[in-house]
Amino acid sequence: MLETLPAAGRIAPPPRRRLAVAAPCVVAGLAAMALWIAPAVLDTFAVNVLTRSMIYAVLAVTVDLLWGFAGILTFGQAAFFGVGAYATAMILTALGATPAGFAAALATAIAAPALLGLVVGWLSFYHRSTPLYASVISLVVPIVVVQLIYAGGESTGSSSGLVGFDVLPLEIAGYFRLAALVLVLVTLVAWILVRSDAGRALVALRDNEARCAYLGLNPRRLQILLTAALAAVAGLAGFLFANASGVVAPENAGFLFGTELVIWVALGGRGTLLGPVLGTIAIDYLAANLSGDLPFLWQLLLGTAFVIIIILLPGGLADLVGRLWRVLPIGRRTRAAPHLVARVAAPEAAGTGVPILKVENLAKAYGALTVLEGIDLEIRAGELVSLVGPNGAGKTTLMRCLSDGTEPFTGAVAIGGTAITGLTPNRIVGLGVGRKFQVASVFESLSVADCLRLARAPHDGLSPVGQAETLGLPQAALDVLRMTGLDHLLTPPTRLLSHGQKQALELAMVVALEPRLILLDEPTAGLTKAERTTIGTVLKALTTGRGIAAVLVEHDLDFVREISSRIVVLHQGRLVLDGTVEAVVGSELVRTIYSGGAHG
Amino acid sequence: MLLTLDILTTAAILFIVSIGLLAIFGVLKIINFAHGAWLTVGAYCAVVTAKLGLNPWAALPLAFVVGAALGGLAEHFIIRPLYRRPLDAILATWGLGIVVGQLVTLAFGRDVQMTPNLFAGTIAILGVEYSAYRLVALGIALAIGLLFALTIERTRLGLSARAVIMNETLARSLGIDTGRVRLVVFMIGAGLAALAGVLLTPLTSVDPNMGVSWLIGAFMLVMVADASYLALAAACLVFGAAQVLISTFVSPILGSIAIAVLAALVLRISPKGFSRA
Repeated sequence: MLETLPAAGRIAPPPRRRLAVAAPCVVAGLAAMALWIAPAVLDTFAVNVLTRSMIYAVLAVTVDLLWGFAGILTFGQAAFFGVGAYATAMILTALGATPAGFAAALATAIAAPALLGLVVGWLSFYHRSTPLYASVISLVVPIVVVQLIYAGGESTGSSSGLVGFDVLPLEIAGYFRLAALVLVLVTLVAWILVRSDAGRALVALRDNEARCAYLGLNPRRLQILLTAALAAVAGLAGFLFANASGVVAPENAGFLFGTELVIWVALGGRGTLLGPVLGTIAIDYLAANLSGDLPFLWQLLLGTAFVIIIILLPGGLADLVGRLWRVLPIGRRTRAAPHLVARVAAPEAAGTGVPILKVENLAKAYGALTVLEGIDLEIRAGELVSLVGPNGAGKTTLMRCLSDGTEPFTGAVAIGGTAITGLTPNRIVGLGVGRKFQVASVFESLSVADCLRLARAPHDGLSPVGQAETLGLPQAALDVLRMTGLDHLLTPPTRLLSHGQKQALELAMVVALEPRLILLDEPTAGLTKAERTTIGTVLKALTTGRGIAAVLVEHDLDFVREISSRIVVLHQGRLVLDGTVEAVVGSELVRTIYSGGAHG
Repeated sequence: MLLTLDILTTAAILFIVSIGLLAIFGVLKIINFAHGAWLTVGAYCAVVTAKLGLNPWAALPLAFVVGAALGGLAEHFIIRPLYRRPLDAILATWGLGIVVGQLVTLAFGRDVQMTPNLFAGTIAILGVEYSAYRLVALGIALAIGLLFALTIERTRLGLSARAVIMNETLARSLGIDTGRVRLVVFMIGAGLAALAGVLLTPLTSVDPNMGVSWLIGAFMLVMVADASYLALAAACLVFGAAQVLISTFVSPILGSIAIAVLAALVLRISPKGFSRA
C-alpha cells in the first residue's frame, strides 16, 4: 500500500493556504444565493417545512461536530435547543415584540444554553472519564430539562407548551431565508474549522485522548469548550425555531428529539458535515410529506434504515456517495504536505543545579500487591539513564508514576523542582516531560504531518481557519524523520504506517515537544537492527548534544550498554542497583537476576 | 409504614425491570436500548393472553419465550456485527426499539390496551391497607433475584458468564464458546425484560411506547450497578427510596428524575458506581 503513495515531502508545490477558506466560501455563497431565490419557486407548504428542516439541520451540524468529529455521542443537543427555544418564547411573552425584547431573547437563547453546556461539560468530562459516561449525561440532561418545563407551571406552559407570543415581523419567505442564512453560515464555519489545523485536534481527541494529554493538550478543556460552544449554536437554532413556528413544546427539548438528531446524522453520514445537513433536510421533508399518509410505516422504514446503516454502512449515505465519487477519475486530490522547516529551539535554562527528575521514597501498591517500594532516583540534564529489570519488575509502573500525578502513589516525584502529585498528564507535559509509550500511541486517522503539528500545538498553536504551509520542528525531530524516511511520508494516514514507522513517528512527536525529560518505554521493541541504531543515535544526540535527560526502559542489554550514561536496575519493585554502565553490566547481581536466580 | 412498603415495592419493580438489562450489559458490555421494546412486547403478550381468554398468569411463560426468541434473532443479526463498536450498538438497538414499537403499533393500533389485573384487591398488613399486587411483585422480585443468583453462582452457564465478564479473551482461549454464552445471555436478558413487561401491566397503561419511559431508569440503575446483581439490588433500594421520598415530600416531578440525576452524580464521583462497595 505504502509504496504506491507519492513521495510528497519536498516535491509537491507549496499548498496555498487561502484555498482552505476560499473553496467553502464559494460553495456557501452559491448555496445561499440558491436558497434566497428558492421561496419564489416553492409552494407555501414546502417553504414552511423546509424552514423547520433547515433549523434542524443546524442542530445536525452540531451533533456531527461532537459525534462525527470529536467522538462524543450526544443526545443532549435537543436539551440546549429546547432551552434556547423556551428562553425565546418566555422572554417574548413577557416583553413583547420590542427591539429590547428580541435582543434579550436572542442573548438569553445563546447564553443560557452555553452556561448549561459548561455545566454539562464539566459533569461529562474529567480525567479518566469514559465516552459512555458522556453519553449517559447527555441522556439525562434532556430528561431533566423536560421535567423542569413540566414543573414550570404558567411560565413554561407545562405540558402544553407556549404559544401566541410575539415573533419577529417576517413573512414565511423571510423566515425561510433567515434559517437558510444561519444554516449556511454555521455549516461554513464548521466546514472551515474541520478542514483547519485546529479541526484536526477534534479528530485527535476522538482517536486517542491519552496521546492528546501526553502532548500537553488539555482534552478536558477542549471537550468542555466544544460542548458549551455547540450548546450556544443549538440555542440559536432554538431562537429561530421559536420565532419561525410560534410554538414551543416540551417535545422540542426531549430525549426522543435528541435521538432523532443522531439518527439523521447517522443516515446522512457522521463526520462529513454535508451528509448530516442534506440528510436532515431530506428526511425531515420526506417525513412531513409521508407521515400524513403512512405514519407508522414511515417510522418503521426510518428505523429499519437506521439499523441497517449503523451495521453495514457506519459512514452513512455520504460514505456511499463518496465511494462512488472516488471511482470516478476526477477530483482526486490528496492533501498536500507542508514544508518542513527547522525551528531554533528555545535556549536551555540549564545549570540551575536542580535535578530534572527527583524521586524520593516512591511506593505504589495495587491492593495488597506492592509493585514499587522505596524508590529513590535523581536524574540531571544530559544523562541517559536506562531502566532495566525482568518483566514485572515495575518498570512501566514507574514510568506511569513519573508522568501521571493522579496515579495513587506515595512518596514524592518532582520535575525540575516542582512536585507532580495530583497533576494530570497534560500539566506534567507542561513541566517539560515527554513520554513515549510501549505500544506506539499516535493518531490513527490523521496524517503524519498532522500528528507532528499537534505535537507542536502547545508551542505554536493551531490555526482555526486554515492549514499552515510550513511545519516547524526542532532539529532533533527533523533528524528522526530524515533518518527513518518519514519526511517523505507526511501525507498518508498513520494507520498505513508500519510498526517501526509508527514508533519513529511517536518518538518524533515526543521530541517535537522539546521536553527537558524524555521517558521512553521500550522504544526499540520489534524494530530492526538498523532502526534500533537510528533511534540510539538520535537519543545520544539529544542527551549529550542538547542536554535533555532521558529515562529508557529497555530489555536489550547490548543496546543499553551502547548508549546509556547510567543504568538503574529494578527488581521486584525495588531499586537494586544504580551505577555506571561498566559497574552495572559487570555486576554479579544483574547476571543472577537475568538468569532467573534471584527470585523469591 | 406506608412509606416503607412503597419504598420496598418500588425497589422491587425497578429490580424486575432492570435485571434483564443488567444481564446483557454484564456479559456483552453492550447497552441494549431495545430493552424498552422487550418490555412492550411482554406487555402485549399479556394483552394477547387476555384476548385468547387464558389465565392472565399464562402470559408470563409466553412473554419469556417470545422475548427470548426475539432476543436470539436480534443478537444474531444486530448485536453480533457490533461487538467491537459498543456506542454503535446503543444506536442500533435503539433503532431496533423503534422498529419493534412500530410493528406493535401496526398490529395492535396505538391506543391504550386494557389487561386483566394479575392480582386484584388490597391486603391489610401491619395496620395499613396495601395493594396486594405490589406485595406480590415484591415476592416475585425476590424470586427472580434468587433464581438469577443461583444461575450465576451454581450453574455451568453462570460460571461461563462470570468468566466472560472478567476476561473474555482468556475465557475464549480456555475453550468457552463465548459467542454462545453471549447469545444465551442475550436471550435470557430479553426474556426477563418481556417477563417484566407482563408484570408491569397492572401498574401502568399498555401502549406501544410504554417501554421507553422505563428504559432510562433501568439504564441508569444498571450503569451504577456495573454488572453486579447485588449492586443492582442495592441501587434499586437506594434510588427507589430516593424516588419515593422526593415524590412524597418534595414534588412528584422531581421524584421522576431523581433516579437519573442521582445516578449520574454517583457515577461522576465514583465511576464504578455501587459495585465497588
